[in-house]
Amino acid sequence: MLEVDHLAIERDGTLLQYQLSVATGEILAIQGRSGVGKSTLLSALAGFVAPCQGDMRWQGQSLLGLPAEQRPVSMLFQDHNLFEHLSVRENLQLGFSGKAPAEALNAASVALQVSDLLDKKPPTLSGGQRQRIAIIRTLLRPEPIVLLDEPFAELDPSTRQLATSWTLHSARAQQKTVLLVTHQQEDVTRLADRAIELG
Amino acid sequence: MILSRLKHHSDTVAGLTSLAAMVLISVAAFYGLIGFSGQGADWQLLSDNYYQSILLFSIKQAALSMLLALLLAWPVARALYYGRLPFQHSFLSLCILCFVMPTLVLITGLVALLGRDGLLTPLLGESWNLYGLNGILIAHIYLNLPFAVRVLLQALHNIPDLSWKLAVQLKFSPWQRLRLIELPALRGAFLQLSGFIFVLCFNSFAVVLALGGGPRATTLEVAIYQALKYDFNIPEALTLAWSQLLIAGALFLLIARAGRSNWLAVDTLSHQFTPQPGLFSQWGHRAVYLLSWLGMLLPMLALIPGLYQSDLSRFSLSALVQPTLTSLVLALVSASTAITLAWLMLIPIRQARLQQHNRRAMVLEWLSTHSLVAPAMVISVGLYILLLPHFDLDHHGIWLVLLLNCALVVPYAVQQLRPRLLQYDAQYQHLSQNLKLSRRQRWWVEWPFIKPTFISTFALILLLALGDVAIISIFGSDDWTTLPLLIYSYAGSYRIAEASLASLLLLLICALIVWAFERARHHA
Repeated sequence: MLEVDHLAIERDGTLLQYQLSVATGEILAIQGRSGVGKSTLLSALAGFVAPCQGDMRWQGQSLLGLPAEQRPVSMLFQDHNLFEHLSVRENLQLGFSGKAPAEALNAASVALQVSDLLDKKPPTLSGGQRQRIAIIRTLLRPEPIVLLDEPFAELDPSTRQLATSWTLHSARAQQKTVLLVTHQQEDVTRLADRAIELG
Repeated sequence: MILSRLKHHSDTVAGLTSLAAMVLISVAAFYGLIGFSGQGADWQLLSDNYYQSILLFSIKQAALSMLLALLLAWPVARALYYGRLPFQHSFLSLCILCFVMPTLVLITGLVALLGRDGLLTPLLGESWNLYGLNGILIAHIYLNLPFAVRVLLQALHNIPDLSWKLAVQLKFSPWQRLRLIELPALRGAFLQLSGFIFVLCFNSFAVVLALGGGPRATTLEVAIYQALKYDFNIPEALTLAWSQLLIAGALFLLIARAGRSNWLAVDTLSHQFTPQPGLFSQWGHRAVYLLSWLGMLLPMLALIPGLYQSDLSRFSLSALVQPTLTSLVLALVSASTAITLAWLMLIPIRQARLQQHNRRAMVLEWLSTHSLVAPAMVISVGLYILLLPHFDLDHHGIWLVLLLNCALVVPYAVQQLRPRLLQYDAQYQHLSQNLKLSRRQRWWVEWPFIKPTFISTFALILLLALGDVAIISIFGSDDWTTLPLLIYSYAGSYRIAEASLASLLLLLICALIVWAFERARHHA
């Protein structure tokens, strides 16, 4: 279980406070108006923002003492998810401690219709294509917690449906605990077990 | 976890040790001078007319050089950006060559072009005199304008397509485009360039030594040289040195604080759309471009007639072989050491920036580039005096030259590498951390990103090290001579044809290096 316990983060003179828990394997959607601190919460869980109070625990163990590199977290940022100077294939192979799971990556590329882009470099791709590639890597990395910050924002309706169903299937198959920040109600309906509204 | 922290610490320690070594060189040099004379600076000199006229001239020529270089560079950069002109790549390579051109080669070319018997002198009227402020300004502009053109052009390229499309949509007038898009994009570059060029010209040595003279056309750096060479007046040299360090150092710090480099520019920007200039502007851009080509090429071409001025048949080309090899080896070793040191010194700077310890980062940045503002003459002579009792500098002085050359080019390496590495950190640090990349993987990812900048930085400092003469003129011996020193000695004994030949050879080597590295950078 992931617990966010009386967590407080100071940002631009405002104190953001969080209290929530997510069961292992659960998909939680986080909603709320812009600026309420949804992305800040994900950044804190990933280790990029230091809270001033409270605790975050995964399976009973505090995450606070761990640097970002050692947290059991795979995160999809709003942007800059791909190294622009590396090919898509090279980008997909990063983030695995051993050899990257070639078969799973290939299958996912086919499922999300990006298999013919593997030898291209990110600057030649559209926003939606980049996003799908980043989603594949984020979900397939061997981390139990997955943080998705507006993952489907750049996708058109049909690829959006494709991406949400693949994400759901992949997260369930690997028992991932997912926190999903989204403004779209349809993402919540299709993907989430539960939704909370911040602020 | 402990292992990764240890690795992290070892990187920081290596960086801080490199920084300490650089600072130690400067401190040891000052210590050498103070210790030798047993006296500090002569502060009474500050109220002396001689001192004040030197200080005023140093500031005046540096300010004018900076102003003129920037004012002339701006239209050239605009012409390149808007003009879609032929041979732009060659032009930009020529810009690098001009910036790093060994000062002695430039001076030989300028004298051949605009000196007493220069090719263009008859067109300039009887009152024309290259020596003095005229010549100093021309040489400084020639050296710095091409560099400014490259930096301004890069800043213009960082304007996103979207801004131009929006400007077209909103039907901006040319004045609005200039005020609302172009100037904000250039402001940071102008500020940084003005500080950088001012400091380079304020500390100028070889140009002022060759084309200046007398208290009316002398900079602090040349005055230090004269105080040490002719009077061996250490208190006077120290006063001048402290003045130079304080003025140039403070200015450099101010600019670093105020200026914003464009390292946040992201690689995903595409450049496919720039507004089409009107017909009148197009012709203006072409004219500016043509004049720039001419201005940059003429001092180089002027070296050729010099070859025919005397009989070169008695001159043995083998006299050039050993100095050329010495120069190349010295430059290669100095540049390799300097780029390694710069990379290491940037580690604690990057860490401080990432942790948003901006004040610490600024101090570290200043320390890493301080030898740009420290008087090269004081550092060379101070170290010479300090080491003289312990080493046979007549025979082993080459090691000292290597050390000094390296110390003098390190700031350039830091300046060039820093924006790209900071851009990498800003763009990818969180992603790298989240992906838990190992040290080897980080290197694998970072290297292709930094490689083009690394190659051009290495070329730049290699060329600067190749042309440096300020130090070598003190330490050169018969055992080993470099090509710049050879030109210096030929020019000193009025062997103009030999000086021209050696200058052309050095220029050719520099041009080959620029060509090879530009090619490598494009393929990187």
